[in-house]
Amino acid sequence: MRVLVCVKRVPMTGGTIVLTDDDRAIETRHLGFTISPHEECGVEEAVRLVEANGGESVVLTLGPTEAEEQLRDAMAIGADRATHVVTDGQEWDPQATASAILEAIRDDEAANGPFDLVVFGNESADAGNFQVGIRVAHALERPVATGLKALTVDGGMARCEQETAGGRDVYVLQLPAVVTVKEGLNLPRYPSVPGRLRAQRKPVETRTPERPAPRLAMARLVVPEGEGKQAEVLGEGAAAAPRVVEVLREIGVLA
Amino acid sequence: MSTALSAVALLAALAVATALFARRAHLLYRIVRLGKPTDRSGDLGRRTKAEATVVLGQRKLLQRIVPGLVHAFVFWGFIVLAPTIVMALLGAVDADWTFPWLGHQGWYFLLVDLFCVLVLVGVVSAFGIRKVQRPARFEGSHLREADVILGLIALIVTTLLGWHATQIALGLNEWPAGWSPVSDALSGLFGDGEATEAFERAFVWLHVLTILVFLVYLPYSKHLHIATAGINVWFGRTRARGRLEPLDFEIEDESALRLGAGTLVDMTWKQMLDTMSCTECGRCQDVCPAWATGKDLSPKLLIMGLRDRLFAEGPAVLGGGEATALVPGAVTDEVVWDCVTCGACVHECPVSIEHVDHVVDLRRHLVMSESRFPTEAGTMLRDVGRSSNPWGKAQSERAAWADGLDVRVLEPGDPAPEILYWVGCAASFDERARATARATATLLLHAGLDVAILGPRESCTGDPARRMGDEFTFQEQARQNVGTLGDAGVTRIVTSCPHCFNTLGNEYGDFGGDYEVVHHTELLAELLADGRLQPPVGEEAITYHDSCYLARHNDVLAAPREIVSRIGRPLEMARSGKRTFCCGAGGAHMWMEERGSAINEERAREAAATGADTLAVACPFCTMMLDDGVKQTGGELRVADVAVLLAEALERV
Amino acid sequence: MTALVYLEQTDGAVDEPSLQAATMASSLGGGAEVHAVVAADTAALAPAGQLPVDAVQVAVHEAFGSYAPLAVAEAVVELAGRLGATCVVGPGTERGNEVLAHVAALLDLPLAANCVAVADADARVTRVRWGGSLLEEARVDAPTLLLTVQPHAVAAEPGAGDPPSVETFTPTLSEAALALRVVERVAAATGGVSLADARVVVSGGRGAGSEEGFAPIEELAELLEAAVGCSRAVTMAGWRPHTDQVGQTGTKIAPEIYIACGISGATQHMAGCKGAKRILAINADREAPILQSADYAVIGDLHEVVPAISAAIRAARSG
Repeated sequence: MRVLVCVKRVPMTGGTIVLTDDDRAIETRHLGFTISPHEECGVEEAVRLVEANGGESVVLTLGPTEAEEQLRDAMAIGADRATHVVTDGQEWDPQATASAILEAIRDDEAANGPFDLVVFGNESADAGNFQVGIRVAHALERPVATGLKALTVDGGMARCEQETAGGRDVYVLQLPAVVTVKEGLNLPRYPSVPGRLRAQRKPVETRTPERPAPRLAMARLVVPEGEGKQAEVLGEGAAAAPRVVEVLREIGVLA
Repeated sequence: MSTALSAVALLAALAVATALFARRAHLLYRIVRLGKPTDRSGDLGRRTKAEATVVLGQRKLLQRIVPGLVHAFVFWGFIVLAPTIVMALLGAVDADWTFPWLGHQGWYFLLVDLFCVLVLVGVVSAFGIRKVQRPARFEGSHLREADVILGLIALIVTTLLGWHATQIALGLNEWPAGWSPVSDALSGLFGDGEATEAFERAFVWLHVLTILVFLVYLPYSKHLHIATAGINVWFGRTRARGRLEPLDFEIEDESALRLGAGTLVDMTWKQMLDTMSCTECGRCQDVCPAWATGKDLSPKLLIMGLRDRLFAEGPAVLGGGEATALVPGAVTDEVVWDCVTCGACVHECPVSIEHVDHVVDLRRHLVMSESRFPTEAGTMLRDVGRSSNPWGKAQSERAAWADGLDVRVLEPGDPAPEILYWVGCAASFDERARATARATATLLLHAGLDVAILGPRESCTGDPARRMGDEFTFQEQARQNVGTLGDAGVTRIVTSCPHCFNTLGNEYGDFGGDYEVVHHTELLAELLADGRLQPPVGEEAITYHDSCYLARHNDVLAAPREIVSRIGRPLEMARSGKRTFCCGAGGAHMWMEERGSAINEERAREAAATGADTLAVACPFCTMMLDDGVKQTGGELRVADVAVLLAEALERV
Repeated sequence: MTALVYLEQTDGAVDEPSLQAATMASSLGGGAEVHAVVAADTAALAPAGQLPVDAVQVAVHEAFGSYAPLAVAEAVVELAGRLGATCVVGPGTERGNEVLAHVAALLDLPLAANCVAVADADARVTRVRWGGSLLEEARVDAPTLLLTVQPHAVAAEPGAGDPPSVETFTPTLSEAALALRVVERVAAATGGVSLADARVVVSGGRGAGSEEGFAPIEELAELLEAAVGCSRAVTMAGWRPHTDQVGQTGTKIAPEIYIACGISGATQHMAGCKGAKRILAINADREAPILQSADYAVIGDLHEVVPAISAAIRAARSG
């Protein structure tokens, strides 16, 4: 089986977000980077599917040259090869991202046959646009189930579970299909050292398409005003308990 | 029996015994040859000194005086009596034959008599310890084997005395009988007739045969240590004890990559020798904090388990068979993770077994090959790799503790400070440990030092990852930090964390990082001695807790005490100095759940029992763990870093 | 100017975020006509009551007997085309975003998801990033503005004047749309209070120390009839299932009060609990980031503080 999983390099923000001077990006000078959380689970799932069914898993990212780090991380846990759609660091809006990914998919499928499954994160941790996976599915004319917390592939069909209030809704898709997944789908494994060493030698294909003019163009970023809260300290240690009970009573949650 | 017949009989017995011994010894040698390489060369001076003090001088054994003396008597006896073996062999052939020159020296036979008595005293005491006192450290040891060995030793010595006594009775002694009072006295039991002649032959032959039985039994029992221990001590660590040996990942051939110890063939020859040197004495078990708090780990049982696997599977592997996984077969997962790498076991071991190396190598395989480790520790490993600190906090906030203080943060391109204060992740991010950072920085600035910090560019030394067994992540961190420190031109570092102290000082050298590293207590003690800091004398009762990585692994004991005795009234705990009891955070345990009762609570109780008001520490982990420990045991002890106490004392001026 | 707003409904009543979206839609375009569209399998499910819209169109098709995102999107696209809508708005819920994303893909138009403010005259929106910890001001280059509204960014206002007219229509749906639908529902395995709906949530973070360390938190939750949540560090450590995780990539909660024990307050966690009316942080670290977003704080070790609170509650109840 052939699985493609798409990932995005995102910074790991701490307790506060600090912007660059021009307010057009997050200051990342002392931040670490990772694959966006939903997608990490997507990579793990892709690797597991290929372990169970044989075949090949490919990881793809659209991002700056540094994003190769995330591709190597994905290959360290088992993805077989990678495609890097290299950008100059500028943001690509969802439509541009989707069409660049589509191009890469079409080229790969022309050479190697269709992907049974294309896996996206439900939304990226940073931009959170919720739409790239669905756009790619439309362009490929394949069904897409989103926000998955469980996925089973059997006999050319994918059983997809989406979490809702009070339970899970199930879709059954015929492969080839597209899915977008959420963290909680699985617990991503820790890469072994042989895996990490091999990953350094696995092939990464690069493409550098032109960035089209954005149709959803970021003008600037704004850190929302904390309501200027300064928490009222009710006390220290166990001695604060009575005051807490008072507050709970005032709020009306104490029966 | 005629001389010729005796000679034939003796040679036959000798040949058989030697052959059996040699065959087994050869097998053990071949097994050790299976071991992976490790560099234990050089440092001849220190190695000789170790042989002299630890082996000859029985230094480590004498750390426990009574059992130590028991063993020393037997051991020294063995050395002194060695020539009597040859004498007995000669004498067994012909009653008139003896060792040239020595066989005639009265003073020698005085020594022989003396040591025979001492050996018997030792053996009887040993039985007393084992049968009457029954110390807990023998739990799990093969006591039956020991009984056999002690019995054989007693037999060897009594038959020797018997032989000498009968020789004297028959007038066959080649030395003046008066020099050997015991043998002489015993000779009174014997006449000079045929019966005594028979006894004389009986004693010498029994003596010889017992020795030969002993020789054969030796390599099949833990008494093997008499051959291996001396060698094991020679090849023990001479360089920094806290340094772990790095692994090499730059190997082209993946199958040649050694990622710790997965099967017996991954063990180094030194590790194999370790297992063959173990006498099951249990001193390590006695001092292990994990064992003391009811966990599965006993360093003794760990080494015994590895030894048993080595002997069970070694021959098959030599014959071309496959070695099987050490974990969980020979050692369980729990045992591997229970260890806090405090090194108490290594410090106690009389034969220089390095248990911590075994644990770390087992961990390395589990983590790096199998990704098999407590889940919660995986978060820490990921955080070290991605966020550059084990708590996943934002590096941009690393220097937040210094807000309001005049601490210079070194930017790229800035001139190097005289001394760099390496704060460490704990003191940067933990609310309790931050007090240590603030106090240390304040004191150093107050004393007028040209000191700076790296701030957000300081990233985790990688110690927790290394102790977990994730050597790969550790090396990434090491290279990154060595690069940063090199670019900044740093040559001298002071740190308030013993783990950073150990890693920067002892381990970064393997990655090109060569710095003069001091612990903040050393620097502060210096400043006190120079008079650059002049706190008033204090009265408060303070008990100081030695950090494992400071005291045991790195011999820093005096400096913190100098400070404590200046500002308060010091009270020592029983387990102090190099025999300190761990706080429980080492070996990456800060990030792992603890099963069973808590090591930190055990130590907190011990501290409270001194009657002190304050528990002084010199490590941010100890600060956090012991503070928790005090709270969890309902104690009132105030836990504070030595720097914090010193800063407070100075404020009182 | 015609705006079309997609409304989600549960048992005949329009969901709160959809009402908020409708309110947003009605504030656009200086007096534009606002049509609402709902999808149902029978006309009887048309929403009743005051809605801040001019007309409601019910797309009726048996396919809407269960959730079918592409089918809903096709119905919305059909209607939008018929109405000549210049703006299509939806709620910024999981499903709202999904449906509007399908609409955007069908129309090949940009979609601004989770907007908190819209200045449609300039085609400018302010939308949410990082689950709410950051805002983005963006320009949309499209003849029709597609957007979803971040829940709780706008207060829902009922319509003034006459209730909206209600019409039905039967959309033409493609094969693909008919195939992409929920075929089965699996009930939640866990009993107890659902995190997303709970009035009170008590959470533990790294400070809990272990799986067993959650015992005091569970005890307090039980006393308050609250749901138990946790931070991502806890889920990654394997101490609690992902379903308990509160955060940007976990569950977003909106309780009356959120009691966060031993949680430092990383932005991705705060993104999950900013819907809480009040936050009480119990933390040993005075400088933990969460204190800048909390209403109340207790400085101390949760293992001391939480049991004390439970004891005080018991005492208050019996006394």
